Amino acid sequence: MTRPSFIQGLHKLNERFHIFSEIIERDDDWEIPEDGFHFSAKDNLCSLEMQTRAGSKILDGYRPPFDATSISRLKEAGGVLVAKDNMDEFGFGTFSTNCAYGVPRNPYDEERCCGGSSGGSAAAACLIEGHLALGESTGGSIACPAAFCGVYGLTPTYGRVSRYGLVDYANSLDKIGLLSRSAEQIVKHLPTISGKDPMDPTSWAQPELLLEGMEAKKIAVPREALDGLDESVSDTFMRIMNNMESIGMEVEEVSIPSLSYSLPAYYILATSESSTNLARYSGMRFGVRNDNYNSHFNDFFSQIRSREFGKEAKRRILLGTFSRMVGFRDRYYMKALQVRSLVIREYQKVFEDHDVVMTPTMPFVAPRFNEIDRMRPLDMYKADFLTVPPNLCGLPHVSIPSDCIDGMPVGVQVVAPHWQEGMLADIMLRWEEHFVPKHPEVVL
Amino acid sequence: MDLEVVRKVARIARLELSEDELEEFSRDLEEILEYLSGLDKAPSCEEYGFNPVPIEDVMREDEPCIDIDPSLLRELLDTYQDWVRGPRLA
Repeated sequence: MTRPSFIQGLHKLNERFHIFSEIIERDDDWEIPEDGFHFSAKDNLCSLEMQTRAGSKILDGYRPPFDATSISRLKEAGGVLVAKDNMDEFGFGTFSTNCAYGVPRNPYDEERCCGGSSGGSAAAACLIEGHLALGESTGGSIACPAAFCGVYGLTPTYGRVSRYGLVDYANSLDKIGLLSRSAEQIVKHLPTISGKDPMDPTSWAQPELLLEGMEAKKIAVPREALDGLDESVSDTFMRIMNNMESIGMEVEEVSIPSLSYSLPAYYILATSESSTNLARYSGMRFGVRNDNYNSHFNDFFSQIRSREFGKEAKRRILLGTFSRMVGFRDRYYMKALQVRSLVIREYQKVFEDHDVVMTPTMPFVAPRFNEIDRMRPLDMYKADFLTVPPNLCGLPHVSIPSDCIDGMPVGVQVVAPHWQEGMLADIMLRWEEHFVPKHPEVVL
Repeated sequence: MDLEVVRKVARIARLELSEDELEEFSRDLEEILEYLSGLDKAPSCEEYGFNPVPIEDVMREDEPCIDIDPSLLRELLDTYQDWVRGPRLA
């Protein structure tokens, strides 16, 4: 039997794992150029060659006339964009189960989810050797799927990577990052996608990216993050902390009292911002068109939005619209902004005496789809309690594949001070020297 | 959340919801808002920003340039001659 070509391999993987919303059109015998590398991008990043639908039916057919800056920078460095990755609609989800173009299956167990919302990106990074995936995180959408799929997932400081060409979820929270089996590959390509971009003012205030010369020695573990973990995840995390001490790092338990307020603050800010961002989908400008021009504009917009948005998108639009209404704005939105500042201050206090903060990435291993079906929306939101704090604060963080429980991967989340991605690079590369996770072997 | 409040919020957000959807979202949002109200107990903070890190304004020279070819809009939008088609305003 002949081995499938690269493109055939992608199609075969997709039939089984539903990773991609679209694969680039090439002849079957086409291969990646020898001096190039292959990458895929979460489908909320605009791309010239393929549709950009952000996991939503309302964007079906949308072909952007430009590449997102992160995509064009990888292409300039020799990258070939081979596919767009399935994701929760507009990033609204913890498990990649709210996807209009296929629910990705976990590479370690196809009955389980990949995590969200960059689920397709994490599965692609896990299943394809040498593959780099562009992800995007608002509240943990890189770290969570990286942990569930056993890969490295790095989310840089807010503003480090230009968001030009990103389908916005929440402007004060969105960050573009990288996922890969290899820490080295992420450290190599982070500088490629980073840097100032006149098309995105949030990228303009960043200091130089320094990835060498930093050494993380002191680890803080916030005790508030250790409640609510599955016992097996808790035991595994403690064992990993002991390993950290055995390679010369100092581990200390600390307190960050405001961590418990991060989750409500995040959901108020994220839904407030997303409900305004989603106002642009009206049946006129992007994706699905409404041809019923004789209707009043209120009906024209409502018809298409009601028909094409999924349930979770509607739920978050309602919540965000409510939070911004007169009479509730001060209680919810303004208070959430204050809490964000408070949490940032408490992190900064911890960083005065410690180099990084570590917790498990997720409180449990990737759940089965039938378990997710039984969860209430609030239960799903609460599952993000470990990934939300660094995302709310715009702090750089990485999920490191660290061990397995009953064959399912567990991730450790490492958080560094603003702009100090070098601290993360140091830990990732040192970890990779000592620990090589086993990835599932898939026979095509 | 009261059904009438959900109905009002949906109208503002340009969403038409069925009676089943209204009831479901009413239950979900009640539960979620009760959890979010935990924020009432959080300490206040006098200083706050709209972004997690300081942001600078970006200014460019005021020179004409073409970023995306406007003629592409004819392909991307429903146009009639050089006009974009849209719904009635009244």
